[in-house]
Amino acid sequence: MSNLPADCPRCAFETVTRLATSPVPGVWDVLQCDRCLYTWRTTEPARRTRRDAFPENFKLTPADIANAIEVPEVPPLLT
Amino acid sequence: MAYDDLRSFLDTLDKQGQLLRITDEVLPEPDLAAAANATGRIGENAPALYFDNVKGFTDARIAMNVHGSWANHALALGLPRNTPVKEQVEEFARRWDAFPVAPERREDAPWRENTQEGDDVDLFSVLPLFRLNDGDGGFYLDKAAVVSRDPEDPGHFGKQNVGTYRIQVIGANRLAFQPVPMHDVAQHLRKAEEKGEDLPIAITLGNDPVMAIVAGMPMAYDHSEYEMAGALRGAPAPIATAPLTGFDVPWGSEVVIEGVIESRKRQIEGPFGEFTGHYSGGRRMPVIRVDRVSFRTNPVFESLYIGMPWTECDYLVGPNTCVPLLKQLRAEFPEVKAVNAMYTHGLLVIISTAKRYGGFAKAVGMRAMTTPHGLGYVAQVILVDEDVDPFNLPQVMWAMSAKVNPKDDVVVIPNLSVVELAPAAQPAGITSKMIIDATTPVSPDGRGNFSTPAKDLPETAQWAARLQGMLAGRA
Ligand SMILES: [Zn+2]
Repeated sequence: MSNLPADCPRCAFETVTRLATSPVPGVWDVLQCDRCLYTWRTTEPARRTRRDAFPENFKLTPADIANAIEVPEVPPLLT
Repeated sequence: MAYDDLRSFLDTLDKQGQLLRITDEVLPEPDLAAAANATGRIGENAPALYFDNVKGFTDARIAMNVHGSWANHALALGLPRNTPVKEQVEEFARRWDAFPVAPERREDAPWRENTQEGDDVDLFSVLPLFRLNDGDGGFYLDKAAVVSRDPEDPGHFGKQNVGTYRIQVIGANRLAFQPVPMHDVAQHLRKAEEKGEDLPIAITLGNDPVMAIVAGMPMAYDHSEYEMAGALRGAPAPIATAPLTGFDVPWGSEVVIEGVIESRKRQIEGPFGEFTGHYSGGRRMPVIRVDRVSFRTNPVFESLYIGMPWTECDYLVGPNTCVPLLKQLRAEFPEVKAVNAMYTHGLLVIISTAKRYGGFAKAVGMRAMTTPHGLGYVAQVILVDEDVDPFNLPQVMWAMSAKVNPKDDVVVIPNLSVVELAPAAQPAGITSKMIIDATTPVSPDGRGNFSTPAKDLPETAQWAARLQGMLAGRA
């Protein structure tokens, strides 16, 4: 499966990387968004793989990613 | 009967009719998660599931719902499959008293059979990874036993922690990792990050059934999970030395992943459908670089469906959360009879207790909130009398409906600590907490009209046993 989708279903970022491909050739790929790290298999239902079918509640904006809280917070360096 | 690895336990589940082999081809998504999700909806003695025909994979072996019923939980502890829940908790508490039981080190761990190192590490080639819930950010390792050491006291066996944490696979050799601040590994990470150092870590997958129970069990910081596993098994826990970190890991694991939590780095992780029945995340979480993977030939990938309760997670951590609270409360309040902390990992706890004097039950409730586990959970406590079974919810609801005068018996304390995952917390990590005292007031608390309770007839217990015997004989 050589055709990567145009954008991330979750955040619409346009760079997507192939993380894995099916041991049985040509069945599926595992893809990942380079920005929000969303990971999906190409054989998953449209609600998980297509931007137009992705639930609004789970969509992320660049601001959501940048402003996400740190858990746990990075502590101050001891000097 | 102590199981040294997952495979021997799966054999027992199979023989006891508690393992369902699904041999028809299934899709990795949504079938694997949906089938495991369904085990929580078909009654409380659901079987474990075993898949070995998953579309696109050539040799995937996936076990789910291994602890996902009272029957399976009983078998994991070597008890008869039909042992009632209250008895499983009491037996668990009884075995606890044997703690600590020293582990047994073995050299011939089966996970030494295969190795990937450095740039050759590819988790996707070892594990048939898949997604659980629609909104999850990706594929998770959610039933691992994660081992880390205290960077300031690395030689202390008891401070070496074994815990279960959510882990998202974000690359062939990269993981995102959630250490909740209340948990031991977060203390290890803080100490390492204060010095600007990476924290070495070992993640073991597909463990023996008692290892999975102790890894999810609230234990004291310097108590060893391996020494508790020995007590619960009734035999020393078999351990082996992980080749890269030198950490002590279960001998019987299917897969041992080693690497480091990279110091002072955070990256987007989640969301993930959690034990609260709600998604949490995305948050900026620590990340792990995997440097070595060791695995049995044809490893079994064990995973756990988690989401809207009840799921396997609730059977797995329900009893092991009841017992430490029971022990810690009884240490100072021997009047405490039983503790049911099986709802959402103890966010709600039901305690049955005798009363020393008026107001005593409320004190027991406050103590539950200040136990080590209570600090991060125990947001609601219901106190019931000593003759009410806290595992019998109709009895508990009777006590609530008949004994509670809300103005006097409901206490709300603002702004206490709770896990950030608690959906009702505001802000995350802070919540009010509530005590509902559904015990009968005793002197000098002279409220209400409780002097003439109706009790079971003296002959009732005998008749109950007789009827149960007749029903069992009919089956
Ligand atoms: Zn994205």
